[in-house]
Amino acid sequence: MSPRLGFVGMTHLGLLSAAAAAAKGFDTVAADPDDGRIAALRSGSLPVSEPGLAELLAEHGTRLRFTSEPTALADCDLVYVAPDVPVQADGTSDPAPVDTLLAWARQSVKPSCVLVVLSQVPPGFTRQRLAPGPALYYQVETLIFGRAVERALHPERFIVGCADPTAPLPPALASFLAAFACPILPMRFESAELAKISINLVLVAQLSITNTIAEICEGIGAEWNEIAPALRLDQRIGKHAYLGAGLGIGGGNLLRDVATARRLAAETGGDDAVLRSFEANSRHRRDWALRALSRALAGTVQPRVAILGIAYKQDTAETLNSPGLALAEAVGGATLRLHDPVVDLTAFAALGSAAGDPLAACANCDAVAIMTPWAIYRGIDPAALAPTMRGRVLLDPYGMLDGAACAAAGLERHTLGSPAP
Amino acid sequence: MSLVHQSADPAAPQRVVVIGSRGFVGGAIVAELARAKIPSLALSSQDLDLLAPGADTALAAQLLPDDAVVIVSALTPDRGKDVATFMKNLRMVEQICAALQAQPVAHVVNIGSDAVYADEPSLVDESTPVTPMGFHGMMHAARETMLRAVVANNLALLRPSLLYGAADTHNGYGPNRFRRTAQSDGKITLFGNGEEKRDHVAIGDVATLVRLVLQHRSAGVLNIATGSSASFRGAAELVAAQFDTPVEIIPQKRGGPITHRHFATGALLRAFPEFRPTTLADGIAAAHRQMRDG
Repeated sequence: MSPRLGFVGMTHLGLLSAAAAAAKGFDTVAADPDDGRIAALRSGSLPVSEPGLAELLAEHGTRLRFTSEPTALADCDLVYVAPDVPVQADGTSDPAPVDTLLAWARQSVKPSCVLVVLSQVPPGFTRQRLAPGPALYYQVETLIFGRAVERALHPERFIVGCADPTAPLPPALASFLAAFACPILPMRFESAELAKISINLVLVAQLSITNTIAEICEGIGAEWNEIAPALRLDQRIGKHAYLGAGLGIGGGNLLRDVATARRLAAETGGDDAVLRSFEANSRHRRDWALRALSRALAGTVQPRVAILGIAYKQDTAETLNSPGLALAEAVGGATLRLHDPVVDLTAFAALGSAAGDPLAACANCDAVAIMTPWAIYRGIDPAALAPTMRGRVLLDPYGMLDGAACAAAGLERHTLGSPAP
Repeated sequence: MSLVHQSADPAAPQRVVVIGSRGFVGGAIVAELARAKIPSLALSSQDLDLLAPGADTALAAQLLPDDAVVIVSALTPDRGKDVATFMKNLRMVEQICAALQAQPVAHVVNIGSDAVYADEPSLVDESTPVTPMGFHGMMHAARETMLRAVVANNLALLRPSLLYGAADTHNGYGPNRFRRTAQSDGKITLFGNGEEKRDHVAIGDVATLVRLVLQHRSAGVLNIATGSSASFRGAAELVAAQFDTPVEIIPQKRGGPITHRHFATGALLRAFPEFRPTTLADGIAAAHRQMRDG
């Protein structure tokens, strides 16, 4: 018989995970003590912007039961505790929401229920929460903003933290994970908690070296986009390596894990120099647009600048560590026009006026900066863009527009990893 | 500790006391304050000998609670790179610190140097560790620490990169010496082929930024640089191009390894978004005109 599932914490991670469980055919309780949050979900209002989530819920929602009553968890065989853990601007996070919801779940689940912490927690967290009663496990989440549905339905593997990794997994947990037909890696709690951080640190290393080489490319006339494919064909690096040049390390999660690793290295006497370098390089490359804009607009009186993209990356409304926002906050003395297809720009009205579409934002501007690689920006025709602008400066860090078309339109295009114009 | 503006809207200080007002940097600051019609009290070593006994009392007697104080006074490396010069420089600031303790003021701005950073990092910003490698750098680092001890808040520590300008009395390796030797001998001599890249800052930019720091009552640390480094060869060629007659650029055998220094100027751009640094080409041309026109 299929286990009855529960997910506690109906923010990004919990909602996606519950929807994926329902999509795999499991009857699932989706619980949260916040009545308002549950009422919104029942009415079809989603708290996150995530491609495919609405469709997933529409297709499989009949197996999902949204509730704010903890007693609804009483029949569950397996309950995941999965609130989002907010990351502060300094890279720290407080796992208090996990403790709150773990206690909320423990008061209602049956003794034979298996509890799993799914939220990201610091190493050592789960073992400290072992208590008499329902068994406790930890499972690594690998949610990626903008690709969360795909990741939830088709995980690469499951990393499961256990009090005793030599003991078999409980049947309810084992049968649920088996439904995803991917490798399952049980290990001790601390290893699993550090495995999550390790994954992110390797990604940060790839991004940092990419950004370092991209800057050298800009200085010596090389082209990073010509180099990256050669690296992907190296089996030691791989075709999925994080080799896209970016404006530092975006979002909060990767830098949070760098900060956590730095803290762990300091506590244990490890060398943290490379971790500090990641942070310094991220700060430096985040300012790429500010430096380029400052140089390009030298001598322009009262410049007008359009910033396209305020989300920290495409397909999400998240703005923590957003390069577009950082640029908007740093550009002084300029009149700003802002556009983002998803982010609610009313919160940023003090920085600049919002425009309904990208070309309208660019009208009469001296410079345009495409700071988030939203797909819709690829549709901007340089030949249509140039005549609307007052100036010719285009910051296109991610190479969204065709270089030849930009040159033909007379735009002065600045791109990450490409020789400066 | 990046620069924080304690006055978002620029406002002129009641009065600015410039300690070390006759030097290359101090003179430019006094002139900038005059242009901005900001009242100032210019104190040179002739007005106040900071190495003389009782200088602290004499200085304190001149200070007012609403004053801003700009500290430029220092014995530069051309006056000595030895222990004696190092100790004199510390004694000068010891006297200033004692005066500031006796008579606190509204704002203190110290003009230090990027010599507080080690030579190794090719890219420097305000978070780069202060690890000076010579007496000059150690002197500036120690002076900053001494000032921090007596000025808890309202202290701006500015760290300029290499400075140049027509009025520079020092003869350090760089555009100033290049201009003089090109003028006198028709020659510019480089170490090696002048490959080392440095961020050369026009003196006028320093004066402008000091004024902005004073007007915003800014506190914290700020490097003063353009964000664009050029090789000494490039600087020499720019200087040579100012002359009507040919100037020979002569490479010499190199004594040490090639090192470069660049500045990440994000903090400067954020602190003063409307400030545009003078390019090396424009600055060298302006310095040449000033030299030619006397």
